Amino acid sequence: MWRIRKFEEAVEDLFGRGMMHGTMHLSIGQEASPTGMCMAMTLQDQITSTHRGHGHCIAKGADLTRMIAELLGKKIGYCGGRGGSMHIADVETGNLGANGVVGGGLPIAAGAALASKMMNRGTVAVSFFGDGAMNEGAFHEAANMAAIWKLPMILFCENNGYGMSSSTAKAFAIDNLADRGKGYGIPGVNVDGNDVVAVYEVAQAAVDRAKAGEGPTLIIAETYRWKGHSRSDKNLYRTKEEIEEWRTKDPIPRFISRAIEAGLLNQEQCDAIQNDAIEAIKAAVNEAVKAESAEPSGLLDAVFKAVSA
Amino acid sequence: MSFKYPVVMPKMSMTMETGELINFHVAVGDQVKSGDVLFEVMTDKIDMEVEAPADGVIESLVANPGDVVEIGKPVLIMLTETEVMAFDFGDDNEPVASVEVVAPAPVVETPVVVAPPAPIIVNTNVKAVPKARVEAANRGIDLRTVHPTGPDRTITMQDVNGAQLDPAIIKRQEANKALIAKGIEMTRGIAQASFTRSVSANFDHAQFIAAWAKVLRGRPDLAAHEHIGVALIIESKYGSALPVFRDPDQSSIADLAALVASTTDAAKNGKVPVAMLSGATTTVFDLTTYSMSSATPLLFPNQVTSVTIGYESATTKIVSLTIDLNFCDFYDGALLLDALVASL
Amino acid sequence: MLTMAEAVREAMSIAFDERPEVFLLGEDVGIYGGAFGVSGDMYHRYGADRVLDTPIAELGIVGAAVGAALSGMRPIVEIQFSDFTAQAMDQIANQAAKIHFMLGGALHVPMVLRTPQGSGTGAAAQHSQNLEPWFASVPGLKVVVPSNPADAKGLLLAAIDDPNPVIFLEHKLLYKIPGRDPVPEGSARIPLGVSKVVREGKDLTIVATGIMVNKSYEVAEKLAAEGISITLIDPRTISPLDMGPVFESVEKTGRLMVVQEGPAQAGFINEVIAQLAGSSSFGSLIAPIKRLAGMNIPIPYAPQLEKAAVPQIEDIEAAAREIVKNWR
Repeated sequence: MWRIRKFEEAVEDLFGRGMMHGTMHLSIGQEASPTGMCMAMTLQDQITSTHRGHGHCIAKGADLTRMIAELLGKKIGYCGGRGGSMHIADVETGNLGANGVVGGGLPIAAGAALASKMMNRGTVAVSFFGDGAMNEGAFHEAANMAAIWKLPMILFCENNGYGMSSSTAKAFAIDNLADRGKGYGIPGVNVDGNDVVAVYEVAQAAVDRAKAGEGPTLIIAETYRWKGHSRSDKNLYRTKEEIEEWRTKDPIPRFISRAIEAGLLNQEQCDAIQNDAIEAIKAAVNEAVKAESAEPSGLLDAVFKAVSA
Repeated sequence: MSFKYPVVMPKMSMTMETGELINFHVAVGDQVKSGDVLFEVMTDKIDMEVEAPADGVIESLVANPGDVVEIGKPVLIMLTETEVMAFDFGDDNEPVASVEVVAPAPVVETPVVVAPPAPIIVNTNVKAVPKARVEAANRGIDLRTVHPTGPDRTITMQDVNGAQLDPAIIKRQEANKALIAKGIEMTRGIAQASFTRSVSANFDHAQFIAAWAKVLRGRPDLAAHEHIGVALIIESKYGSALPVFRDPDQSSIADLAALVASTTDAAKNGKVPVAMLSGATTTVFDLTTYSMSSATPLLFPNQVTSVTIGYESATTKIVSLTIDLNFCDFYDGALLLDALVASL
Repeated sequence: MLTMAEAVREAMSIAFDERPEVFLLGEDVGIYGGAFGVSGDMYHRYGADRVLDTPIAELGIVGAAVGAALSGMRPIVEIQFSDFTAQAMDQIANQAAKIHFMLGGALHVPMVLRTPQGSGTGAAAQHSQNLEPWFASVPGLKVVVPSNPADAKGLLLAAIDDPNPVIFLEHKLLYKIPGRDPVPEGSARIPLGVSKVVREGKDLTIVATGIMVNKSYEVAEKLAAEGISITLIDPRTISPLDMGPVFESVEKTGRLMVVQEGPAQAGFINEVIAQLAGSSSFGSLIAPIKRLAGMNIPIPYAPQLEKAAVPQIEDIEAAAREIVKNWR
């Protein structure tokens, strides 16, 4: 969680200095959800991610230098500078890619789960998405297909209360988003998205269900993003008090105090973990900044995969 | 451990380069928590509140309200206990020095003389199919003189193919044809011999003309005139032109090269000065432009010699000399060619 | 002789036999045998595990195909009418087409999307479109338009081999009829991106796509008897487009006519004109370039209206005569 937090803070800083092009969608405050979910997965299990996907990529094991390099438009970036923040994929860690289209990853994850079932691979496919995506047609079509074919898929919703500026109160006529599972005949599970242990438990249960061939699960993890939707967000749609309140539910100190109380870690160890994360991010940034910038030559050849004779 | 952290003017949109500091929400010495608003900034499109990245204390205020601050430059300094993720790489992004492209000095043309014939204007709104335009350009046809029979008064290929050429051009082309025909007829009547040698050398027209003239200069006994005039055949769409270079061995090679170049250009435009059209004592034919190695020699009366330059390979040329046996005997001809080849 | 539907089925069956990772999904492709009878008995021969009947959910279906392709399968997804690709456009244009490029080559999408297009069945505006330019204008998609069963078989096999997303546009009117040439036995591929010179002539070059190739062929036959000889070129793959034979032919004939079914405005065939006009072969033209295409209207219902909306054989014949007569 520290790695995700420090990574996002670093990105915020670098972007604020004008070193990163475009915009950034930060997930500060939401770290517990991807962490808990990915802890229940193996490297071969697959994920699809979102425009706010740095946390998913890191939790699934992505290389920090290559991530920063991509955001800086460098050759060694995950996409060679061609994709940017919203399109980072890492085949080796089962990451099928972040997606710039809301809901775009849901049918894709269903397809990956379908392939896993057809090939008897025994893996699961997790689609991360936000509350906003639940009103996209793609969510409906993917959920239904996963349900009727009992695909080994987990639909993991990071419900941070807002689809850009639309609050869930205004975008949904129901109060409990998990109730939508009933519409497809699949279990809908609520969990405190800022409690990493709770997320892990719910995730593991869903993974077990999927691998046992019982089909998909809809997980609604309640969480909150501290920063605006993107860098041009002035937070006109929510109040300072609301942001303040959620900051007190910061998943990281919550887990630290719980771990210390349970006698599993002491303060020193926790500090060391934080420092390791800081150092890791610093090293990644310093290395990425020095890397060669991506060049326009070769762009035409990059559109298609070459046909082998 | 205490960290000093400068809170900078953030970049809030793609085109933003500076922002205006509106006001501070904190004062020196204030304790702040992560997320507290420190100050407000504005660009032309957006105004934003900048938050504290961590818990800490305000150490100093750097900018003043109303100041315009560059992105990335500090607005205030705070002290924090936790290390803030901050990366100051300084001014790494120097703009690349633009490379000036110096345009080459324009070549000044010195076109020579001869007024162009007045065009007969029939068709002022010229529409023509692409191939007709290409054909007309190749054959020196003025499209304005072509009668269009295609739809929308468009000149078709048929129109161009059947077009009457500019009478002045036709006249000149006929005259040139007559000249060559006469030359061949006359050549047949002259007792002659030809010699051929391969040369592995590079030379341009000026160098060749100068070398040949020098060789001839050295054999006044074989001359039929006092002066040496080397005629060079130049082909153009107007026919063949035969400008004569008088005593070319007596000017500097640079001057001769310039004269050859300008005369060649003029000839290609049908504009050889009248003064250069007489006085030939020998004629040079360059067949290499057609990749020919040899051709039927043309020997004009009262010109003792004529020379052809032929193409053998990328590195070798064939030089062929034809002599008028009335003025020059067999053996001398061979010597002349030897001397020419040696000097190239 | 095999019809287009049979040729496509044969190609799919060969691919199924060659590679276990090839499978078919779409609406009514299984038990029903396909809305146009293309998948036929494949459900019975290969089973429900490889011929998947899907709910009516084009976006989900195509997205699932993308996800399966990313995970090592080679899906063939059938969209019942090309008009319905509109429901699936995010997965086609924003996902499948762009994944290889924007992910820096880390992943690729070996997927074929087959769909019937075109008018003439009285199905009216929402079931009759020719959407070639929609797909041809998206970098990252390969687009194939077979004009006859023999080509369809070889091209589809090549499309399934291709590691990139291929949109395979079949014409409804061609499904039930055999072509001029018999469909060859065996599993030979016809490479994508290679145009075919269907016949050679010296008076006029016609470039046509899909069903217009066959109409143009009939015109060429008829006019040959009158001494007007026509070169007919079928690009077969419209993206990437092979213009080589077009340049060569125009330099010989000096006259170019392009024929497509879809509406003229911003249609695919304009690409042929644009490339020719900017090439050195432009100087060989002895006539303006003639374009025959559909009217800029949605396809109407009544048969006489439906016919009037797209070029017919008479239109092609009249245009060919006119261009050869008026431009000499």
